[in-house]
Amino acid sequence: MSFLKRSFPTVLIALALLSAWEVYCARAAVSPLVLPAPHDVLRGLWLNRADIGSHALATLTVTATGFSLSVLVAFATSVALYFLPWLRRGAMPLLVASQTVPIVALAPLMVLWFGFGLLPKVLLVILVTFFPMLVSLLSGYARLPLAYRDQLVSMGAGQWSVFRRATLPVARSAFFAGLRISATYAVVAAIFAEYSGARRGLGIYILSAKNNFRADLVLAAVVVSACLTLLLLALLHGVDRATGRRFRRDNDATG
Amino acid sequence: MLQVEGLTIAAADTQLVQNLSLELAEGQITCLIGPSGCGKSSVVKWLAGVLPPTLTAQGRARLDGSAVTPPHPSIAYQPQQDTLFPWLTIAENAALGLEIAGVHRRDAQARIAPLLPAFGLDGTAQLFPDQLSGGMRQRAAFLRTIVQDSRFVLLDEPFSALDAVTRLKMQDWLCQQLARTPRGVLMVTHDLYEATQLADRVLVMGGNPGRILADLPIPSPRDTRTEASLAPMRVSLRSLLLEKTP
Repeated sequence: MSFLKRSFPTVLIALALLSAWEVYCARAAVSPLVLPAPHDVLRGLWLNRADIGSHALATLTVTATGFSLSVLVAFATSVALYFLPWLRRGAMPLLVASQTVPIVALAPLMVLWFGFGLLPKVLLVILVTFFPMLVSLLSGYARLPLAYRDQLVSMGAGQWSVFRRATLPVARSAFFAGLRISATYAVVAAIFAEYSGARRGLGIYILSAKNNFRADLVLAAVVVSACLTLLLLALLHGVDRATGRRFRRDNDATG
Repeated sequence: MLQVEGLTIAAADTQLVQNLSLELAEGQITCLIGPSGCGKSSVVKWLAGVLPPTLTAQGRARLDGSAVTPPHPSIAYQPQQDTLFPWLTIAENAALGLEIAGVHRRDAQARIAPLLPAFGLDGTAQLFPDQLSGGMRQRAAFLRTIVQDSRFVLLDEPFSALDAVTRLKMQDWLCQQLARTPRGVLMVTHDLYEATQLADRVLVMGGNPGRILADLPIPSPRDTRTEASLAPMRVSLRSLLLEKTP
C-alpha cells in the first residue's frame, strides 16, 4: 500500500507527459517517422517483441557481467587504496583523469583492440561504472568514527580486524549509494558499447532501427533499456533491504 | 601493579604532558581529576594504545615490573562515548572484545548470557543499542569492558554523557560491580563529587604542561563516606585545582 502511495505521483506525472505527447502528435500531425506517438512506440514494441527481447537479453548479459566484475574490481581497488595511502595519493589523480576520457572516443577503440565479442563491451561497462563505486567506498571508509577504531584497537584488534568489524559496516550505506549510481550508468554503457560495434544487443538494434528511419523502434528499445535499468535498481534495492536491516538503525553510538 | 614512568606527550609545537609517573594498584579505583586540556585523556589513551597519530609520546608502562607496550590484554579501555556498534545486538557488542581475543563467537555469547542480569540487561541480548536507554547502553559498554577479564580498566569520563539522576545510579552500580569483580581502575573525571565518592585515591593533574599535582588517598571505605566526611577533602581539592591551574 505504501509503495502504491509513494509511486502515485510518479505514475501521475508520467501519464500526464505521455498524454501531452500523444495529444501533440495527434494535433500537430507530425510524421511518425520523425516523432511517433506513444501508442506507435508501444505497437512497435509489441510487434517486434521477440526481436527486441533477444537483443535485450544480449545487453542484459553484457550489463550483468560488466557490472558484477566492476563491483569486484572497485571493491578490491578500494581496499588496496585504503590500506596503502601512498598508492591512493599516486593513483587517485590518474583514476580521476581516466574519467575524463570521452566514452565516444573509447568505445570504437575498444572494438578495434578487442573485436566484436563480449570483452570490449564488458570492459567499457567496467570503466564507466567502476569509478562512482570506488569513490563511494572510499568516502564510506572515511566515515569510520575514530572512537570505533580506538575501541577496537584498545581491545587488540589489528588493521584488518578494524576494517572488517567497523570500517566495512560503516561504509555499507555509501557503498549501496555508489552501486545505485553505477547501476544507472551500466545499461547505458553497455548500449553505447554495442552501438560502436556488435552483433547483438539493444545498441546495435537502435543503430539499425535509426538507419531504417524507424523512430518508433528506436524509442521502443529505449523503453526496454529504461526497464532494464529499473530492474537492476530494484534488484539492488531488494538485496539492500534483505541483507541490511541491522545496518539501517539510525543511532550513532559516538554521540 | 600497573606503573607509568616518565610519560611525556607532545603535539607538534606544545608539550601536553611532562614527565608524568603514576601507579595503579590491583582492585583499587584511582580517579584522575583536572581541568580541561590538562592531558588526562591523553594519558589514558596512551595507556590504551590509542594515542592520536598527531601526538608523540615517550615513557614506559610496566605491569608487575615488566615493560609492556599498549594496547595490552591486561588493560581494557572504555572511551567517553559508549561506542556500542549500532549494527550489532547488545550480546554481539558485549562479546566483541572476547572475539578479538580469539574466543569463538558461540563461546563468547555463552559467557555473556549469564552476566546480562547482573548488569541490568536481562532480556536485551537481541536488542540493538538504539532500543536501550542511556544508562543501559553504558552498562552494556561496561559489560563489554569487564567481560574481557583485564586486570586494569581505563575509564575516560564514562558518565559525562548521562543525565544527573542516571549518573548517580550508575556510580552506585559501578561500585557494586567492582566490589563483585575487582579491577584496578583508572577513571578520568571532571567531577569532584564523583571522584571523592568513588575513588580509593585521587590524582590531581595540572595543565600547561600536564603533570601530577597531588596524590590523595581516601582511606575510608566507600559505604561509610558521607557528605560531611567528604566535604573537607572536596574543599582542599577545589582550592588545589583553582590555585594551581590557570
